Amino acid sequence: MTFPAKYPQLNEMELTDDAHDVLIRLLRVAFPHPDFPDGPYERTATRILNEARESTWFRVALTQGILTLGQLAGGDFRNLDDDAATSVLRRIEATAFFGFIRRTTVLNLYDDPEVWEVLGYEGPSFDKGGYINRGFNDLDWLPEPRIELYDGEPLPDIAPNAVLASTGKSPTGGQQTDTSNQPGSQETVMRKVSK
Amino acid sequence: MKIDQNEEAVVIVGSGAGGGTLAYELTKKGIPVVVLEAGPYLRNEDYVNNEWEAFNQMAWLDPRTTSGSWRITTDFPNLPTWIVKAVGGTTTHWSGATPRFKEHEFKARSTYGRVEGANLLDWPITKEDLDPYYERAEIAMGSTHTHGRKPLPANNNYKVFANGAERIGYKHYATGPYATNAEEYDGRPASIQDGFNFQGDKNKSKWSTLVREIPRAEDTGLLDLRSDCQVVQITHDASGRADSVLYLDDEGNLHRQAAKLVAVAGNSIETPRLLLMSATAMFPDGLANSSGQVGRNYMRHTTGSVFSRFDKPVRMYRGETMAGVIADESIHNPDRGFVGGYYLETISLGPAFLASFADPGAWGADFAEIMNAYLNTAGLWVIGEDMPQESNRITLNSAVTDKNGLPVPNVNFDDHANDVAMRDHGYQQAEKLYNSVGAVGSHRAPPYPSTHNLGTSRMSARPEDGVVDQWGRTHDIPNLFVSDGSVFTTGAAANPTLTIVALAIRQAEYIADQLKTGGI
Repeated sequence: MTFPAKYPQLNEMELTDDAHDVLIRLLRVAFPHPDFPDGPYERTATRILNEARESTWFRVALTQGILTLGQLAGGDFRNLDDDAATSVLRRIEATAFFGFIRRTTVLNLYDDPEVWEVLGYEGPSFDKGGYINRGFNDLDWLPEPRIELYDGEPLPDIAPNAVLASTGKSPTGGQQTDTSNQPGSQETVMRKVSK
Repeated sequence: MKIDQNEEAVVIVGSGAGGGTLAYELTKKGIPVVVLEAGPYLRNEDYVNNEWEAFNQMAWLDPRTTSGSWRITTDFPNLPTWIVKAVGGTTTHWSGATPRFKEHEFKARSTYGRVEGANLLDWPITKEDLDPYYERAEIAMGSTHTHGRKPLPANNNYKVFANGAERIGYKHYATGPYATNAEEYDGRPASIQDGFNFQGDKNKSKWSTLVREIPRAEDTGLLDLRSDCQVVQITHDASGRADSVLYLDDEGNLHRQAAKLVAVAGNSIETPRLLLMSATAMFPDGLANSSGQVGRNYMRHTTGSVFSRFDKPVRMYRGETMAGVIADESIHNPDRGFVGGYYLETISLGPAFLASFADPGAWGADFAEIMNAYLNTAGLWVIGEDMPQESNRITLNSAVTDKNGLPVPNVNFDDHANDVAMRDHGYQQAEKLYNSVGAVGSHRAPPYPSTHNLGTSRMSARPEDGVVDQWGRTHDIPNLFVSDGSVFTTGAAANPTLTIVALAIRQAEYIADQLKTGGI
């Protein structure tokens, strides 16, 4: 791995506790779920830092991004309230830095069993016998609907009033329409094909 | 059985809905076949009840590129499709909805007329031609609501969906047709409603060629299935007949299998890619491409999802993902402002996938609200006919190569105005449906990476209009066939798997007959 040694401060940011803390604050602001415990956010921040270690480019983007956050915050990003912090993130949302964090977060934060529990998702179910005896149909605030096909009038393929191109008539034998400016009905419309 | 590489064999490329079905139908008739499957031989017990883990295990992740105005180029530029690379192909992660095409959907050009910018064409076959094979496909797949198969029960997501349908005046809703067992059938158990479909069905209740056609073809003793073998070229002799396929095994070693007949069923990206990569001096534009239509008219269905929030729990993830179908909008009614029709079908994603696909690129409070409402969310999918366009097209991207040094496929796609109008109508109806049962908010999710990939080697009566004839036999090369959804002349509104299977059963009869009578 090559390090951007020309800028010593970049190397100084060698993924310190500070970076981890700033990231957690960023994640809490960008993905605001008051009910989520700290664990999933901490794990996501760790994941981001680990992935940045794997890639020089992400590491550079991350290091510079965190510096930028401080500059835009006029000090420490962590000291901003939610609204001010959100504004800062809106200003940087198009950067590679934020894109990298957003992608990694979306892929990992919501794939965390602690988050599932808060959201009301139960995770793997096959080993528990599925939901056949565990509430796959326990919704009780609406009436039981029909599950069979409708046994009344069959669904027509074509609306009765639709005019068919081949005959110029509707299925119910409606009026003839003028198609004199259209090519023949079965002819395919071909353009020059460039190969 | 082991077939010698020098023996001129019937070679099928791909083991999904088309290839797997064709392999079984041919071996059943006593014809030995070699099936070359690019992916590994995963078994039902290998599947994982976790969205990303399963995705990484099953999905076709080889590099691809995208262009055009579709949103995929921004959100998932290297993932235009969401299909499977494994034995059984994409039948191992499909949801299971099995409506038939309608009669007029085989005659799109003469029903809809000339649609500006669309390359519509009538199929060279009719619904009447295909109906007997639809019957056989439904019986093979165990489609509910047909041939005496019991409907699946209503799960929570369906209850919201069906009640909403009823309240806004829809009549044609049901829990199917759906190719997952409601009761034991064909040696496979009833669904345990475990909620995992896109991740592979560990319980074997859902039809796939992995649980039915492949093992039965193996039982005939006439199948030589080679997994982890990716075909990279079809070769031909001096007379222009296909004479072998070249393929790479999982270690990158190149092999040659002699062939008397080749049937390509690699799904609608890889099939044209293979034909294009097989270009030679005799066929400089790729095999079977005298029409210039190979790779063109790529269709992906007009899709979109609506996820609506309620003030009470739904738990949409419990139960069969897509066991809910509304057909009322599947009719052709140009008064809605577009030609063709669409279905509404239940859909559910876990939090991990919902976060990735609900609104790719989104963050902040609005995004968090979608996720926070997870427990109380119901979801559905709009799926309708999209317009074939010549410029929606698979090409070889010679600037980007895969790990074997081969050009990756580029997928170029623009929505047609008809597609946009249909999607908007679908979104509107879906919101109306959910509002009628008390939705407190709704979110419109854009199309996912394409699960239905169609049309890139289309059927046509005349050789100048398409790539294959009514049997899937290429117009240009008598012993080269296409056996997957690539052959669709137009896309229809229905989920495509049933039709791919029906076409493959029909094609198998034709191939068997031609082999017997020396027609190939």
